Amino acid sequence: MPVALSVDLPAGTVVPARLPAGSVALWRSASGRPAASADRCPHRGMRLSHGFVRGEALSCIYHGWSYGQAGHCLRIPAHPRLAPPETIRVTTHRVEESDGLIWIAVGNPLSQPPRLTGFAPLRSLTVLAGVAAIEAAAGAKASLEGLLELSEDARNICLLLSAQDDGETLAHVLIKGEAGPADRVAASRTAESLRRKAEGLQKKEITQ
Amino acid sequence: MKLYDYILSPSCYKVRLMASLTGVKLDIRPVDFHPGTEHRSPELLALNPAGSIPILEDGDLVLTESSAMLAYLAAKAAPEWLAGSRPEEAARVQQWLSFSGRLTASLGGARLHEMLLRPGDIGALQTQGVAALRELEAGLFEQSMRGMRFLAAERPTIADIACFPYVALAPDGGVSLDPYPTIRLWSRAVRSLDQFLEMPGIHRLHELKPEPHVEGSEA
Repeated sequence: MPVALSVDLPAGTVVPARLPAGSVALWRSASGRPAASADRCPHRGMRLSHGFVRGEALSCIYHGWSYGQAGHCLRIPAHPRLAPPETIRVTTHRVEESDGLIWIAVGNPLSQPPRLTGFAPLRSLTVLAGVAAIEAAAGAKASLEGLLELSEDARNICLLLSAQDDGETLAHVLIKGEAGPADRVAASRTAESLRRKAEGLQKKEITQ
Repeated sequence: MKLYDYILSPSCYKVRLMASLTGVKLDIRPVDFHPGTEHRSPELLALNPAGSIPILEDGDLVLTESSAMLAYLAAKAAPEWLAGSRPEEAARVQQWLSFSGRLTASLGGARLHEMLLRPGDIGALQTQGVAALRELEAGLFEQSMRGMRFLAAERPTIADIACFPYVALAPDGGVSLDPYPTIRLWSRAVRSLDQFLEMPGIHRLHELKPEPHVEGSEA
């Protein structure tokens, strides 16, 4: 599923991302390679997404245990002379990056992420409403891949929706490739309005 | 210049951070805010009848509003932290300075409720906090489309320092920062500044320094 925009994960950083299986530490090494691991250090349970990236390793903020892209523990600072045993590792997930979006594999997908023909990612929004409420707000249906085209005056914008396990939706706003800065600001505001509308519909449904 | 300070107060931290970034030496006078409620003592009420901290004293100038303290430190030591001559930039600095008061009321209120058991409607405070964070996220995103990494300009201003602490400490009030990628990039940019200062709950970027090397670890 699409979890983040490439621009929101610069080299040498780690961010939290969400999968149905729970929170994930999504990180990019200094050389630019993205990776994803369970968001929990096996040592003391601290979220690895609170940690930091140095070189090609992700380190926990708590005691500095660091992990390679394949999930094995590389270093335990309190025991500098110890080669960490093979058994200390974090679960990892397959990551694909295409057209400016980062995807994490859930299970064993048979296909590659869909291509975003003509569109480029703009920003990611968390919507406190389900896909159905967003579809109702937009007056359109999302495709099987989660693409929702906006109608009428917002033809240059498209949303890529990804339902979260708690009823929230992660919406990546996509915009037609040639848009300038003013168009991009306008598209961001359109997406914010749509989110307000969808959340309003969701609230109404709950109170009824 | 004397700062009446409490280490865990995000508003006091704004002033300490600004002083560090602009190279101003502060004479820190610790106040026993909790549990001593020293900010309501006769001595401090004489300085600030509103009974709040921080208080910044420099000669006969007594400031009790943190945004004014940021403006004073910048004007004195590093005017590049103030707005430049462009009207939009001047307006944006004022806009976000005022906005920072809403962060204090919402995220700061939620934090006081969760950490010091202050009475309040925690659900409402958190909802207002999320609304403020969304506004900040959108504002920063729009700035990035204009080629600017900070709230009012391509360089940091006092507006960034006014907004940063309560945002960074939002999780203390039970408000998650996970949904805000642009705030994350901005927070990183602030913490990457030369002479950035930490406070409990806001740490520096460890990766900016080389890995500490333990004596004899190459044995």
